[in-house]
Order: sequence, then structure tokens, then C-alpha cells
Amino acid sequence: MKKSFKLTGLDCAHCAAKIEGAIAKLEGVTAVSVNFLTQKLTLEADDSRYEAILAEAKKLIHKVEPEADLNA
Amino acid sequence: MTKKQKKLLLRILVAAILFCVGMLLQILPQTAATPLYIRLILFLACYAVIGWDILWKAFSNILRGQIFDENFLMSLATIGALILGEYAEGVAVMLFYQVGEWFQSYAVAKSRRSIASLMDIRPDHANVERNGKLLQVDPEEVQLGETILIKPGEKVPLDGIVLSGSSTLDTAALTGEALPRDIQPGMEIISGCINQTGILRVRTTKPFGESTVARILDLVENSSEKKARTEAFITRFARYYTPFVVCAALALAILPPLLTSGSFADWVYRALTFLVISCPCALVISIPLSFFGGIGGASKCGVLVKGSNYLEALANTEIIVFDKTGTLTQGSFSVSEIHAIGMPPEKLLELAAHAEAFSNHPISLSLRQAYAGKIDHNRICDVEETAGQGISAIVDGHRILAGNQKLLAARGIACPPCDVADTVIHLAVDGTYAGFIRIEDMLKPDAAAAIRNLKACGIRRTVMLTGDTEVAGRKAAQRLQLDEVYTQLLPADKVERVEQLLQELRQNSRKGRLAFVGDGVNDAPVLARADVGIAMGALGSDAAIEAADIVLMTDEPMKIVTALQIARKTIRIAHENIFFALGVKLLILALGALGFASMWAAVFADVGVAVIAILNAMRALRTGSFLPPPAAAPLPTAIRKAA
Repeated sequence: MKKSFKLTGLDCAHCAAKIEGAIAKLEGVTAVSVNFLTQKLTLEADDSRYEAILAEAKKLIHKVEPEADLNA
Repeated sequence: MTKKQKKLLLRILVAAILFCVGMLLQILPQTAATPLYIRLILFLACYAVIGWDILWKAFSNILRGQIFDENFLMSLATIGALILGEYAEGVAVMLFYQVGEWFQSYAVAKSRRSIASLMDIRPDHANVERNGKLLQVDPEEVQLGETILIKPGEKVPLDGIVLSGSSTLDTAALTGEALPRDIQPGMEIISGCINQTGILRVRTTKPFGESTVARILDLVENSSEKKARTEAFITRFARYYTPFVVCAALALAILPPLLTSGSFADWVYRALTFLVISCPCALVISIPLSFFGGIGGASKCGVLVKGSNYLEALANTEIIVFDKTGTLTQGSFSVSEIHAIGMPPEKLLELAAHAEAFSNHPISLSLRQAYAGKIDHNRICDVEETAGQGISAIVDGHRILAGNQKLLAARGIACPPCDVADTVIHLAVDGTYAGFIRIEDMLKPDAAAAIRNLKACGIRRTVMLTGDTEVAGRKAAQRLQLDEVYTQLLPADKVERVEQLLQELRQNSRKGRLAFVGDGVNDAPVLARADVGIAMGALGSDAAIEAADIVLMTDEPMKIVTALQIARKTIRIAHENIFFALGVKLLILALGALGFASMWAAVFADVGVAVIAILNAMRALRTGSFLPPPAAAPLPTAIRKAA
């Protein structure tokens, strides 16, 4: 399953790259991209565990940049 | 400005005032007597106002195991300066860092807005007819085959066929074309255009997700996922840059004072300047922004680019291979020459157009189009069409024969021999040969100019591939001044030919790329094989959008030049940013290590460079000057009078 989310509150493109790198290492993630300019996060992952993976991704985002918000 | 930006601006102003007061106390001789602690309090207050959130973020990030972010580095550098007794400098660095951050966030927001305005082709609603009522709904809710109403000033929300109403459509947002299109019932219209004059009733032919506007938006928004090599390089570079600079700072603070007898304070100060420069943000943000700007600017000109990598490849293109029919030529017949015997050419054309008045053959259509005048059906009688030969009819009481040599030969009329490159219609009036009309697939009006401009841009080889005959192919290539032409090729031969060219290119040039330009309908395999596949005339053609890497919405060859210029400009800006940002950083690092650069310079190397690089990247958005001049009004059919 592939879904796009709006990721706001990122200060710098470096943080976007860090978030992208961290989420890509999660188990079950097939592809992830964070676009700092369009403020878009696209996550492609296992259908069965999608919600769980998304929750973990949110935690990672919070860890890198506490001010960032992820919305559907 | 967002709330966040306003707040930061206010803090910057307050801190700046406090800072100025502190500095004045320090500099003016009249106030030299003020006790040190008053100045100290002023500076510390200033530092607290401007830097509390940075300190807090650094602290909380360390608790979460995130060190080495810019908050931590700035905190360390400024606190270090304060401890060394450089109060003014420590405070100023924090102040300027925040000023830079503010500019950076402002510039990013501004570029986001300009990009968003480029993407402003998404329709917000559709007026759909349901059970005799008109409802305003989200375009995504409209089903296939429903009837929608589009009022003047509204965007066409979904692709469809016009049932009733006539209007003009502004397609500029999709094609960059300034001239509006006339729309009549029965015509297909494309979502994303703006309805200008009349009300249109339209039956939808695609759901929103598959409509042109949704596909274009999707394509442009996702284009940044296919990263150019330059971008990938920067991402890799940034990963090693920060840890390297921080380690170098550490070494600089410890090793020299131990090895030589220099003072710790001096070397620690130098190390702190390193920390200020260590964030790679200027690079990490400005390179993708340049590419995104280039892609956005291109889409404004009616050129869709599917990824930064293709923009990069196009900029390095050395060979351009063209398909002939439909790419360099119009792909439809029109009259190119009238050779009349015993009457003016206009008269011959008039007779031919009337004789062919009732035929639907493409040749008849092109004759009527060339005639342009009104056809009076009362002047025509006794029409007889012989398939594969031509037409016999009585016009104004004269027996007209219009067709190929066979038609005339069957009635005992001899024709002069003719060039076989084009289609020729021979005419006879009352049994006497009256001349011929030559019909050919005309070159596009801007094709020759496009080839000339491409060569001027430094394209080394221009090659044409065609399935057409040798004579027709050579003639076209000669008129366009193409370097090479290969004729009588089947689609599979075209792939083979392109592969051969690719091989030759690789042997001679490491960076050079090959682009293929086609109409996207039947050359998908070649489009895929070339380094850059360019499809033209793609507005509304799904196959072309699917197969190509770069899509030209209109069918003008000049748009290839536009695309090439945009690609070159974008790459140039990206390279400028890399050299500028890296150059300044390395320079300040070197000067800092030697003790010549103060922390002030370091702050400039960090945020100042970032802001300048972002502003430079924004230039990639401006592509208006690359549009070819608007095409002259519909070209009068070229009628060359035979000598």
C-alpha cells in the first residue's frame, strides 16, 4: 500500500533527509520519500502491518523533529 | 508570514535593541565607567531572548539521543564564546543565526508558494447534473459518463466531450500557449483549461484520477523522487560533512595547544567557528529546490519533466534523434504546389475542390482546406468516384477529372512524369490535361528554426528516422538541414538504429546523452531506449505521457529548444550553488583554522550562504523568456505557383 501524507513544521531540508533515512530502515517499508518543498511524505509498506509501521514512523519523526506534524 | 515567523521576527527586534544598547555602552567613552555587570546582564538578557528555544531544543534532542543537530552545534558554539569571555560575539552569533533562519524560512515559504501557484491547475469543484438538478461537488465525486456544466471563468474539472455550448478555452496553464482554443459541441476538452466565454455542457469521459489535470499534478509533484546525480551527490556529501567538521573542530581544540604551546582559548575559539559552519543545510536545500524550480518552470511552459534526472540528462544531450511524421511534419496532407496549364492556379484549385466536394478522402479534405472559399454545391453534378483512382464530376458544365495517372490514362489522357516523393493529383478539363496539384505532409512551420536553434545550442548531431521513402525522407532532411537521415525503417529498425547511435556516443563522450523525439503514439520502444525520451503533442494523449520521460504538451518542435534551455539553466544554477556554498564554507573553514575568520564570518558562511543559494535556486522558476514567440496566426496554406 502506498499513501501520501502532509508533513509540516520541518525547519530544514537536512531534517527531511534524516527522517527519510530513519523511516527507510524500518522493517516492512518498501519505499519512503520525504519532500521538503512540497511538504509531502510518501510511505509504501506492507499492507498487513501498515498502521503499525505508520505509528513507528510517526515516533521517528517526533524524535528527529518534535515540531513536525504528520497529517493524512 | 506565518505566526511562527512573526514571533521570531519580534524576538529578533527585541534582541537587536538590547544588543545595540550593550554595544553602545561598550564602545562610547562617556559610558566606559558603567560597571561590567550591567553590560553582562544586557548581553545575557539578549542571549536569553534570542536563543532560549535553540538551547531548549538542543537539550531535549540530546535527551532523545539526537546529537549533532544544528541546535546543539549553535548552542555549543555560543556558550563556548560566552565562557571564553567573548560576550558580544557569542550573543551576536546567536542573533545572526536566528536572522538567517528567519530569512531562510521566509525564502522557503515564498518558493513553496510560487511552486504551489504553478500547480494551481487543480479544479476545486464541478457542477454536475443529477436528477435534473445542478449540484456543486468535488471533482473526485463525479462519475464517468455524468454530465457537468462549466461556467465562464471556471476550470474544466474533468476530461470530457462537449454536448452543447460553444466557448473559448484558455490552455495556457497546461501548454504555455497564449492563444485560446475555440470549442464546439462534439469536441473533446481537457481538464485544467479555463473556460473563458460561454457555458459548456460536457459528458465526462474519465474519472478525476485519470483526468489530464490529475495526471499532470501527480507527475510534477512526484518528479522530485527521481533524483539527479547532482542531488544524490549532495545527499551523500551531507551525511559525511557534519560529523567530519565536528571531529575536525574537536581535533583543532585539543591537538594544537598540546603539541605547541599555544593558548587553549585561542584554539577553542577557532574550533567553535568550525561548529558554526558545520550544518550542510544550504546545499541540502538549494540543490533540490533548483531542480524543483526548473521542473515547475518547465511545466509552466507546457513541458512536463518526469524527474530531475531527465532534466540533467537533457542538459547533457549531444545527439537528438527525431521521428519524421507527426514530429517534424504535421502528419496530415496539405497542398504544396499547384501547376496549372491554360488557367490561373486559383482556378484549377477551385475546380479540384468542387470536383472533390463530396469525398471524405484525406486528399479531398486537404484540397477543400486549401481552397478556403465557399463550395457551391449547385455548380456540381454527376459525381462518380473510382476507388484508388479519383473522381469524375461535372462542374459549371465542364467534365472534370481529378485523380492519379491511372484515372486519366483510362480516358486516354497522358500525364507528364512526376516526382514520386509526394502525392500528386492530376486534373483534366473536358478531356484536356489541365495540370496537377501536389499534396504533401508539410513540415511544421517552426521545425527548421528548431533544428537551427538546437545546433546553435551545441547539439552535435541531429538525426532523422522515418518509415517513409528515401526520396521523401531525404527531401525533408535537406530542407531542415539535419545532419543524417535513415529512411524506410520499421519500428524495430528504429530501436536498432538508436542503439547503434548510443554505442557510438558512449565511445566518444562520457557525459553525452541521446534524446529521441517522437509523437509518442507508435514509438514507445524507441522513447524507452533513448537516454531521454521526448513525446510531443501529448495534450490528451495518455500513451505519450506514459511512454516518455519529457512530455511536450503542444506539438511545436521549438518546445524542444525551450526544454533544453530550461534544463541547461537549471543545471547551471545547481552547479553555481554547489560551488558557491562549498567554496565559501571551505574558505571560512580554512581561514578559521588559521585564526583569520571570526565567528561572524562563520555565521555568514552558514545562514547567509543558505539564503543566497535559495534565492539563486528560485531563478530556476523563471522560464518565461524561453518560450518561443507565439506562433503566427494559422498559416495560410502555402501555394507555390509553379514556374
